[in-house]
Amino acid sequence: MSLDHFYRFQDLARQQSVVFYYTGYFSQAIVSAMGDALRQRLNQTDASNMQRRKLFSVFIEMAQNVVHYSAEHLSASDSTDQEIRRGALWVGEQNGHFYVVCANPVAREQVGRIRDKLMPLLGMSNDDIKQLYKQKLRSDNDAESKGAGLGFLTVARDATEPVEFDFIDEDGPLSPITMFYLKASI
Amino acid sequence: MQNLHIPATTYSPQVDFDFSRHQLSLRGESYPENASVFFAPIMAALDAYLAPLDHVRISVDVQLAYFNSASTKAILAVFERLNDAAVAGNYVTVNWHSDPDDDTIMEFGQEIAEDNPALDVHLLELV
Repeated sequence: MSLDHFYRFQDLARQQSVVFYYTGYFSQAIVSAMGDALRQRLNQTDASNMQRRKLFSVFIEMAQNVVHYSAEHLSASDSTDQEIRRGALWVGEQNGHFYVVCANPVAREQVGRIRDKLMPLLGMSNDDIKQLYKQKLRSDNDAESKGAGLGFLTVARDATEPVEFDFIDEDGPLSPITMFYLKASI
Repeated sequence: MQNLHIPATTYSPQVDFDFSRHQLSLRGESYPENASVFFAPIMAALDAYLAPLDHVRISVDVQLAYFNSASTKAILAVFERLNDAAVAGNYVTVNWHSDPDDDTIMEFGQEIAEDNPALDVHLLELV
């Protein structure tokens, strides 16, 4: 990539009011350091305290989701701690609202499971999401989940609009891996 | 039994379980990579402490500015154990602090009180 490409890349990010962008490997140490930088950056904006809290919460849930579930990892595939996995995360500002987008590769066979978790949340009111969150918090853990299985619900709860998601086949429809994108506005 | 002191990190709370004085406190933020790994020894120490107690006044002070979803589940489990101890004849006071701007943490304190009626929960402002 020539410097000219980097400039165009930066310029597009500036036009889209990207506050923060990271792509590469995610570990707990990186998530924690990014979280600190994001908080300091938000202190320089007009975001209300509540917006900052919700934004930080969405950021952490999404970033830890990459650490736990991205299909591309440097750490051993069966490890449950000290993991390092690949993904990307953007935070931007648009018309007084903030958005957080994360992307990470997932195994194609996980697409149905992720879709089943997210689809029901799209049509729900914030009160319904809170009720579902309360119920899930008190139920047994999803066997495939490494946290409380509440990450997507927390993102939906803290978002001011329904979350958006998509799967993009970067390596064609036959690849066993597809890219999962999730966006929340706060 | 031995008191439990775990210093805070950027992503894990300071745990100060002074069992000899029956004062337990959690302060800071909680978003460790794996909440069950972080909370497992805390739960084990709490269980060992609570098991023989009878007619003891326990004071619990929680001042957490943020916790992630996995920590939320672990914190709920801590209060379930404390509620069991209260039902078993101990007196448990909980001072639950939250920032006035933080509805989520305040409401979670209310839920803890509703779920665990044997606890004497006080909702206070985080300073």
